[in-house]
Amino acid sequence: MLRSITLLATALLSLSTLSLRAQDAPVLQDVIDNHILPRFAAIDNTGAELQKAAQANCAPNDPALRTAYHNAFDAWISASHIRFGPAEDEQRGYAMGFWPDPKGFTTKSLAGLITDEDPIVFDAQEYTEVSIAARGFYALEALLFDEWINAQGTAEYRCALIRAVATDIAGNAHALNADWTGPYVAKFGTLGADQMHENEESAVQVLLNALVTGYQFTEEARLGRPLGTFDRPRPKRAEAQRSERSLRNVALSLASLTDLAQRLSEGHPELQTVFTDGLERADIRMADLSPTFAEVEDISGRLKVEILQQETARLREAANTTLATFWGVAVGFNALDGD
Amino acid sequence: MTTRRTFLAGLAAFGTTPTYSWADLGNPSWVSAAKTPDGSHALLGVSAQGDIVFQQPLPDRGHDTVLHPKHPHVIGFARRPGRFARVLDCRTGADLAMLHAPPGRHFYGHGVFTRDGAYLFTTENDYETANGVIGIWDSRRNYKRVGEFLSGGTGPHDIALLPDQDILVIANGGIETHPDSGRTKLNIPMMRPNLTYLDLTGGQIEQIELDRSLHTNSIRHLDVDHAGNVAFAMQWEGSSSETPPLLGYHKLGQNPILLAAPDELQQDMNNYAGSVALSRDGKQAAITSPRGGKIHIFDWHLQTFETSYDLTDVCGVAASETGFTVSTGTGVIANIDKTGLNAGARTPFLWDNHMVPLPDPASQHGT
Repeated sequence: MLRSITLLATALLSLSTLSLRAQDAPVLQDVIDNHILPRFAAIDNTGAELQKAAQANCAPNDPALRTAYHNAFDAWISASHIRFGPAEDEQRGYAMGFWPDPKGFTTKSLAGLITDEDPIVFDAQEYTEVSIAARGFYALEALLFDEWINAQGTAEYRCALIRAVATDIAGNAHALNADWTGPYVAKFGTLGADQMHENEESAVQVLLNALVTGYQFTEEARLGRPLGTFDRPRPKRAEAQRSERSLRNVALSLASLTDLAQRLSEGHPELQTVFTDGLERADIRMADLSPTFAEVEDISGRLKVEILQQETARLREAANTTLATFWGVAVGFNALDGD
Repeated sequence: MTTRRTFLAGLAAFGTTPTYSWADLGNPSWVSAAKTPDGSHALLGVSAQGDIVFQQPLPDRGHDTVLHPKHPHVIGFARRPGRFARVLDCRTGADLAMLHAPPGRHFYGHGVFTRDGAYLFTTENDYETANGVIGIWDSRRNYKRVGEFLSGGTGPHDIALLPDQDILVIANGGIETHPDSGRTKLNIPMMRPNLTYLDLTGGQIEQIELDRSLHTNSIRHLDVDHAGNVAFAMQWEGSSSETPPLLGYHKLGQNPILLAAPDELQQDMNNYAGSVALSRDGKQAAITSPRGGKIHIFDWHLQTFETSYDLTDVCGVAASETGFTVSTGTGVIANIDKTGLNAGARTPFLWDNHMVPLPDPASQHGT
């Protein structure tokens, strides 16, 4: 009886349930309202702007199109650590951003479409069926900034392809936002024995996992891949280096992740300081780096990128141990190992 | 100049080392790596009663261990992406040999010996091409690398030998990684795990893939029963809104059968099986989930779910005299038999992912 009343209340009065929940789980509520939802609203808005810009002018070097690309990519990087929930459905997260791409699937898939003049680009619904590597921001980057891609096929077809990728990004961004503001936020934010999360700690564990994984991705992929090894640095493997976004993506991700960390430390200044100090140290290091980490090729430059990587590792470690212990959700010796 | 290493190599060449058997070590029932109370790492041998019969230090956290079928030698792999593995004399703690992954390779932390103990096969990543490789090492020549062949997929993890046949079965997990980017998974949308059977020269006998809808179910760990039926345990990389099966049954020449608990119990596994074991009588299979804190037991003959047990951070599982022994990252060793799960006193050791039973109980009773 009680359960059916709860369900009815959730269904009919989701707005007032949101406010009721806030009393029991203020941190969770704050993260949903002020961290997650604004980020998905931003990718929805900037995605729509991107689609509009591509329709207006599809020349790869069009300044308005490039600005719209950067704005939407910024929004995606700031939201991309929220990989649970709607981003998992239909592999939307990967469809927005397939990187790293060590085998060069993005270039190959795009070149294949261009060479074949595949008519799939003329149908937005159909385009969701192409390889994930030919979708999202890294595919659009190749179309706007890669010289080799821009020497393939005809300008007319590449124009249609740019519009198809931009439209697909906008559709995906809208679906993510619609799911978050619609059914998923009620599922994720409603606590109880029969709900997705029994209590606030259980939901926080999911958020902490996203936080730790986010820091780890920036540390190991965004910074680790261009660093390569001491004997063989790999600057060409830096993320989105053709549009000179490598450093920008690191900065955006660290800022967004640290915003989440601070919200999860709400009311505990000593914890919040760990993260704000860590981000400040990283910011100081980043002020001294080139947009594409080209400096990894010389010893002193490499050292600077390595120090930034260490600062990122410290943030990850603080989330993984200090913050997880604070919430009583420290991950087990084996559960954490994952092998 | 005789260095310690060449001296040890000389000893091995003269056949001095293989004079001890597992019995000289107090008949351990299983071996596992663990974190010790002082924060260091060690390899421990534990009796059926739960007593520590030997403890040897390890330089770092280990992964799986491979036991020589005759001699008390253990291959201890460094954690992924490990580039070396130590061959440890469990009696003295001495390093008998060191396995170095060739340039451009790292170990995945699993291996298997031929029945006579002559050759060791290790799963490896050729990380510039992302090809899985099986390395071959000759234990009689101080673990010299004597060959290699392709594993038949990406990311080979566990490897086992079928009973009474010279056939290897390999869990190609399907996940591409590169040491430069740590544990970042590079190909989740494209991953295609498989189970591959190879002869000892690398010739493919059979390969199975699961249904396309399960391409993100990474096949990771294996056990084999006396009849050669293979149990494979999986880790889901797809959407958390799905709860796919995590255990598979396969017999050469047949289609695989996937096993899962009823939905409400299956979801407790958090889509992750960390280890798998078959009971000695071949009647039961056990998988563990450290992320869910659950052990699921299946009837291996009927291929049906039997029961679920709760145990925080459980991962290690091995067949025992009466059923299964399991270990946890919180120090617990528990036995599972007909009466249920019976946890012993908490040990001071944080047990690592895998516990390895002695290859053949008979070898514990003298040489």
